[in-house]
Amino acid sequence: MTYHSLLFVLTAICAVAAVLAGDLLVGAVMLALVSIGTSLILFDFMAPWAAVFELSVCAGLITVLFVGAVSLVRPSEDSDARGRVKFLVLPLAVAGAAIILWFTLPAFLERLSSGAMPASAHSAAAIGTTLWGLRRPDLLGQVALLAAGVFVIKSIFARKSI
Amino acid sequence: MMNSFALDWYFIALILFVGLYCMLVSRNLLRQLIGLEIMSKAGLLAVISSGALTNRLNLAQAVIITMIVIEVVVVAAGLALLVKNFKINKSVDIWKLKELKG
Repeated sequence: MTYHSLLFVLTAICAVAAVLAGDLLVGAVMLALVSIGTSLILFDFMAPWAAVFELSVCAGLITVLFVGAVSLVRPSEDSDARGRVKFLVLPLAVAGAAIILWFTLPAFLERLSSGAMPASAHSAAAIGTTLWGLRRPDLLGQVALLAAGVFVIKSIFARKSI
Repeated sequence: MMNSFALDWYFIALILFVGLYCMLVSRNLLRQLIGLEIMSKAGLLAVISSGALTNRLNLAQAVIITMIVIEVVVVAAGLALLVKNFKINKSVDIWKLKELKG
């Protein structure tokens, strides 16, 4: 098994562990490991910018947000604790899905992989050119989205009821 | 035997399944957000894998950066709603979300 596939396997295992974790804090840490695995895969794909964003924002910031939220709601009763069986069935469900997908997906994926393209002028462009030139509307959308997020949080925790 | 691209997508489908399963069976809002995060990771990996296949890695990276920003805003807003709901209902159970109006 290659390093690349091994990273995918480890990420999938961490995802299962994040869902199976009885303690929400352990779940949040496992989710951070999923993000780290994803970021290593991105590095392996020669996509360092996306990998760095994934590592700093998803494995860092989002984990901090999750841990903060878990510490705020921890004293409450975990409604999922009563129905743990549904979660314990997950490894079996994943094994079942893996077997079904192994027999059903390959034909479709082989057809998809025939869409491979040769390198073009766009592929040679620097990430800065792509991000600031070709995808400029995306950046405007990101700014608008961040502003919307700040507004949502501000309105949720408003001092006076509106 | 599957090629590298097909094998990547096979694992991506499995990760997506894990996230979907978590969202379907969980009643806890935090776990639902964890499921959503796992699904978004699968989407992100699908984008980079497609970018590598079509030799458009820089474009895929630009799209992934946008996806990460969206992910952060969704999670931050979701967690803020969760904490607010917990302050009101003392619960994070989605079946008890009956007082979100107004």
